[in-house]
Amino acid sequence: MSASPYPRRQFTNALALGLGGVATAVGLAFLASILWVTLGRGMAAFGPALFTKISAHGAEGGLANAILGSLLMDLMALAIAAPVGVMAGAWLAEHARSSRLGAAVRFLNDILLSAPSIVLGLFVYVAVVLPMTRWSDGAVSFSGVAGAIALALIGLPVIVRTTDEMLRLVPGAFREAALSLGIPQWKLTTQVLMRAALPGIVTGVLLALARLAGETAPLLFTAFGNPFTTLDPLDKMASLPVVIYQYTNDPSPDLHAIAWAGALLITTFVLLLGLAARGLLHRHRTSP
Amino acid sequence: MTLAVLARPAMPAFEAALPATTTASPAAKLAVRRLDFFYGASHALKGIELDIPARQVTAIIGPSGCGKSTLLRVFNRIYAIHPGLRASGEVLLDGEDILSPRYPLNRLRSRVGMVFQKPVPFPMSIFDNIAWGIRHHERLGRAELADRVEEALRRAALWDEVKDTLGRSALALSGGQQQRLCIARSIALRPEVLLLDEPTSALDPIATGRIEQLIEELKSDYTLVIVTHNMQQAARVSDRTAFMYLGELVEVDATETLFTRPGKRQTEDYISGRFG
Repeated sequence: MSASPYPRRQFTNALALGLGGVATAVGLAFLASILWVTLGRGMAAFGPALFTKISAHGAEGGLANAILGSLLMDLMALAIAAPVGVMAGAWLAEHARSSRLGAAVRFLNDILLSAPSIVLGLFVYVAVVLPMTRWSDGAVSFSGVAGAIALALIGLPVIVRTTDEMLRLVPGAFREAALSLGIPQWKLTTQVLMRAALPGIVTGVLLALARLAGETAPLLFTAFGNPFTTLDPLDKMASLPVVIYQYTNDPSPDLHAIAWAGALLITTFVLLLGLAARGLLHRHRTSP
Repeated sequence: MTLAVLARPAMPAFEAALPATTTASPAAKLAVRRLDFFYGASHALKGIELDIPARQVTAIIGPSGCGKSTLLRVFNRIYAIHPGLRASGEVLLDGEDILSPRYPLNRLRSRVGMVFQKPVPFPMSIFDNIAWGIRHHERLGRAELADRVEEALRRAALWDEVKDTLGRSALALSGGQQQRLCIARSIALRPEVLLLDEPTSALDPIATGRIEQLIEELKSDYTLVIVTHNMQQAARVSDRTAFMYLGELVEVDATETLFTRPGKRQTEDYISGRFG
């Protein structure tokens, strides 16, 4: 006589559910702790000086130059990565959907997506910074532009991938309907498919921005850093992640406090971008 | 096939007396000759011969997988957007072979419009859904374009329902309205042939009735070919019906004849519900 399998199954089910719940709680606890500590320590140094004074004043200063530099470089990076990424994604989805070349490009894009960011920084150092010394009388020409190019390389694969995936989600019926009106493929892609996939594509661009906004390593050998405010994209440029990195290496607790405030700024920015991306995608999924 | 040609209604006697040749008879808008179609290695259409007369409704019926949609999708070469699909033989549109690689695709598709099973409004306004195709093929002034859009919407019996909301997204329309919008979008290009691929299978009975009425009205100006799995619909709307089975064209005749006195055993079995 075999006993009923029910009690054992119920036990296994409860065990699996319980372990899953514990794993989730552990993951979330780390996230909550990071947010909590960042918020607590960051608020301590939070004040108007953060936005009005520059980092040249050290402990009496703020992060105005770093905030401006980060915004400038992030925007320049997006201006490079977004058009290239969207076009490459459109090519992958519409012209190389099932070709071998498309599969190869997708694979290489995934490699770029997981490439160590310090390697991308070194690549831009060799490919952009060093050649530009030719025009700067031999001085090593770190620049905001070089930083932006390095950041663009971080964001690019994210945009390529989301654009490709979002366009592939657009029902094939749109393609047949437009092509059977005698509309050429490029008009179909730019005026119907991209429009249908726009919320998803914008989400990808926002996620790319969130990803590159927090990067330090690609900026170390490219934008370098600058204690003063500059708007010249060919000059060395300050950025929040690099200032945070420098300040946390300093023994002064006052600088640590400012670094925490900078960390809070970046975290808030990335969190808001993530929320915006979620909101957009949610609207996209629920729209007819 | 010869019998079917002879049985075509309203044919001048001297034309009907001509022997069947590989050239299209003058009244045939579309003439299919020795058409074979392949999905990769699978042979989906086998030696199809079919004349589709101008300004009439031709229905293509048959069980699922018989190749009726495949045949329809050859008529505007929309199959060509998918890799691995291949057609051989001839499809003559007013005597010109549209399968020839020299036949310009965009011109073909502006002459032969297509409406699909599921309505596919583009993510733009009602007005732009119609105007988009027109703008691509012709350069019109603003007023002329508006006239053309209105004309197309009127022909598709949609004008009265949308004339005050032309700027609104077409996605907000009901399924039946969306399908009429798709018909309007096709006829706005003033095609000569309109292909309908199960145009009402996603619609409720009232919307279906409106589309069928529309088909009846459109045949004074257009040559219509409708694929349907609904035999009653074929009997209601078409002048001629073709029955297909396993990739072959079994029989084509005047709709009334085909449904009352089918010439082949397979046709009779299918229309009397013995299979399919």
